[in-house]
Amino acid sequence: MSMKFNDIISTANSNLMRNKGRTLLTVLAIFIGSFTIILNVAINTGVNSFIDKQVESVGGEGYLDVAPAAMISQMEAMGSSEPQEYLPEENSSAVQSISEETIKKTEEIPGVTSVDPFRMISAEYITSSNTDKRFKLDIQGMGTDKIHLDIAEGRSPSADNPESEIALLPNFATALGFSSDADAIGKTITLAIKNRATGKLSNIEATVVGIQAPSVISMGRTWISQHLHEEVFKMMNVGVPAEIANLTMALGVDFDPEIASEDEVKQALEEIDLIGLSVADEIGMVKTFFDIILIVFSIFGGIALLAASIGIINTLFMSVQERTREIGLMKAMGLSSAQVFLSFSFEAISLGFWGSALGIGVSILVGSAANSIFHGPGMFLEDFPTFNLVEFTFQNCAIIALIIMFIAFLAGTLPARRAAKQNPIDALRYE
Amino acid sequence: MTEVIGTKNLHKTYGKREKFEALRGVDLSIKKGESVAIIGKSGSGKSTLMHILALLDTPTKGLVSIYGENATKLRKNKLNHIRGDQFGFVFQQFFMNSNDSVLNNVILPLKIAGVGKRERRKRALEALKTVELIDKAKNKGNDLSGGQKQRVCIARAIVNNPDIIFADEPTGNLDSATGATIEKLLFGLNKDKGITLIVVTHDADIAKKCDRQIYISDGKVVNKPDENLTEKKVEES
Ligand SMILES: Nc1ncnc2c1ncn2[C@@H]1O[C@H](COP(=O)(O)OP(=O)(O)O)[C@@H](O)[C@H]1O
Ligand SMILES: [Mg+2]
Repeated sequence: MSMKFNDIISTANSNLMRNKGRTLLTVLAIFIGSFTIILNVAINTGVNSFIDKQVESVGGEGYLDVAPAAMISQMEAMGSSEPQEYLPEENSSAVQSISEETIKKTEEIPGVTSVDPFRMISAEYITSSNTDKRFKLDIQGMGTDKIHLDIAEGRSPSADNPESEIALLPNFATALGFSSDADAIGKTITLAIKNRATGKLSNIEATVVGIQAPSVISMGRTWISQHLHEEVFKMMNVGVPAEIANLTMALGVDFDPEIASEDEVKQALEEIDLIGLSVADEIGMVKTFFDIILIVFSIFGGIALLAASIGIINTLFMSVQERTREIGLMKAMGLSSAQVFLSFSFEAISLGFWGSALGIGVSILVGSAANSIFHGPGMFLEDFPTFNLVEFTFQNCAIIALIIMFIAFLAGTLPARRAAKQNPIDALRYE
Repeated sequence: MTEVIGTKNLHKTYGKREKFEALRGVDLSIKKGESVAIIGKSGSGKSTLMHILALLDTPTKGLVSIYGENATKLRKNKLNHIRGDQFGFVFQQFFMNSNDSVLNNVILPLKIAGVGKRERRKRALEALKTVELIDKAKNKGNDLSGGQKQRVCIARAIVNNPDIIFADEPTGNLDSATGATIEKLLFGLNKDKGITLIVVTHDADIAKKCDRQIYISDGKVVNKPDENLTEKKVEES
């Protein structure tokens, strides 16, 4: 003889239904906590899967952007309002550039296959023969073929071929008077370059080989072939003293991951006062921002759940109080303490279940609404049709629901234990 | 006749600091199928004695035997089984869930015993037939009168086909006419089904109808009936 499992569950549920108002308020409290956490995890999943997709498409294994370590510390010092004492050995402007000697040392690092000094270039505007309009842009050469651009149409500009090639940002093709993205491929555009010594503008032509897909990683940069990059650099620096023109601020370093790991190369760079950042590191900075948001909201969700747990404890204590007689009678009829405990625990778990089910349901509704709103015209995700800000996985929802049910169970153990310990005669004695 | 419950030198002391001896050496033996009245003034220790006999409480000192076994040595699980399968309880305050249906109230002991849905429904309806309340099966406990409530409680007490029914002041909250119906029901169960009946009461009239009377005074079994009782002056519980 012992009460059937499904009878224990149905008893627990009908007890919850006895005081509907109180049950509903408790479920609502759990709902607030679970809603916050589920939505939060879904945003994190969405952002991460987007970043992962981007990293995957960008590639960049075996490539590091390298800058002087001093530049980083100087950037940090910029934030300080305290006067920084001048130290002659720390000659700041000299430290910021990378000397020929350092470049040589970089080339000698085991595993490094090529070192490209990064030459800053800029274009005044872009135009085409189809239009009088001129548009601002930010150009950047394909220093390495290890990084893949997200190309919507055509292909990437070359890193090696001696051709002047350009991959336009979305919307530039029509702005420059081409009928469509596809129409622009193979056509010629014109870049205006300003000479650094004279300030005079001169034009250089380039062939459109591709249209970039929207991407957070390219950050609005227009990518050009390495050959064009060098041509532009030359045009900018005609008449500029070589030691100024060739001042190296950064390096692009290719290495063979089979020979030296990324960490080993970074370590070696550090020894010659350089810092190397991989594409993943740079994307990681974006990720850190989202991680901080996630932590903040998780704390909110956690506090809400803590409050909800107190609600569960309170609800069940009241329930135990009200049902003292009934519990006593049932124990007199042979119900074991363990089964009383189980019954109350199920009430708690049931509260947790409904709270988290409601949380999952509502956050899926809110999340899908947010996704379609942010993908709408003029919103920040308009150009990223594949990026869902909020992404739900069955696994995440199930895990969170289970955790919340477990928390509810833990909260319920206090009142459940009190109920289980109840002495039938104390409950049955007439007072 | 075989003994179902017996006690030897039963003592029960309440309280830790301010001790109160509710029972001070009770010896008794209850045989199978008999009806026994435990009778005494309010506060004399009747309920305390009944709770110990019904294995709901443990004595401070002394022995309780149930079906010849030492009850103090039985495991909790076994005690739950004995109470669930062999005992039926009727209390002065009814203790029914007024918000639930009459049928569900009667079903409760069978649910606890793990009896299947169809079987327990059938047996609960049979029990309600015995107490002549079959037409109220669907009603809420709230809809019933005091006498009807106590009949539901009797149905609940007999639904598991018990060997022994413990009734603590079963008519204490009822007027004499309804009280008489309840008495008839209980004594009928004793005669017809051979259920051992242990009735705790301060009412000499009920006590007289029992096969045997055990008089309790100040926690002891006494031979002489209390004067107040025979004159039926005590009306409180
Ligand atoms: N839990 C308890 N703590 C202290 N004293 C109690 C307790 N239960 C009963 N008593 C006392 O024990 C005595 C016997 O009580 P009880 O068995 O209920 O008497 P009866 O049922 O004969 O009226 C009474 O004086 C009562 O006050
Ligand atoms: Mg009493």
